[in-house]
Amino acid sequence: MDTLEKAVDRVLAGDHAAFQQIVDATSQKLVRLGARIMGNQADAEDVVQEAYVKAYRALTVGDFDRRSSTSTWLYRIVVNGAIDAKRSRTRRHETSDDVQVEPGWDGAAFAEARVALAELDQWLAALPSDQRAALVLQSMEGLNNTEIAQVMGVSEGAVEQRLVRARAALRSRREQP
Amino acid sequence: MTDLEDIDQRLARLAGATYAVRPSAAFAARVMQAVHAEAVPGFWENAWFSSRRLLPVAAIAAALAVGWAVQVDRSVDDELATSYASVGFE
Repeated sequence: MDTLEKAVDRVLAGDHAAFQQIVDATSQKLVRLGARIMGNQADAEDVVQEAYVKAYRALTVGDFDRRSSTSTWLYRIVVNGAIDAKRSRTRRHETSDDVQVEPGWDGAAFAEARVALAELDQWLAALPSDQRAALVLQSMEGLNNTEIAQVMGVSEGAVEQRLVRARAALRSRREQP
Repeated sequence: MTDLEDIDQRLARLAGATYAVRPSAAFAARVMQAVHAEAVPGFWENAWFSSRRLLPVAAIAAALAVGWAVQVDRSVDDELATSYASVGFE
């Protein structure tokens, strides 16, 4: 059993401080995933923080049934949170481009990543958030369709449909003069 | 995107460029603060969490108490009826 599952065991046994280990073991991947879906780091951190609070609540009241791995479960909470947040932000036409995040890591890499996130956000802006999430999970996170279906809580057919539609939308946009 | 760059190539390039994304310096502390705020329940929430495991036992005890009260009430009625009857005979 890996460190993450052991930390979950400890939280389930009442050692709430062990939740810090779960955060330490997963926050980098989850913030990166959130940033790729949301298009910026500030929104991603808000979504991931909310996901951790939901996860903690679920662990402490016994709502995590362990039918999927902890990692897949956390991915699911973050993806659902990001899809909802992206939808509501799109409805309100909001953007967080001006929100400054204290990087805490290499400045040059941060600047490059920030530019790349802005490019990604602009490129995928026309896609519905569920199609965008499916595309990010497949092409940037390296998940296969079965794993994406587990994370998004839909059938593999629905995943395939979202990916085909997302690619078609990007292709048609590119072909427009 | 250049003319030669297709969708998958562009996604792969942006995946590489965003791979360095990591949480900001204060992120873990902010998360744990939010989690701790979640972990400190209010009085009623605390009372509910403390007592909810005893609910089935309390429900059974309440049902037994009602059954016992009904039984006692009937037996008192029977005894009173018997005593009124005996008073009548006297």
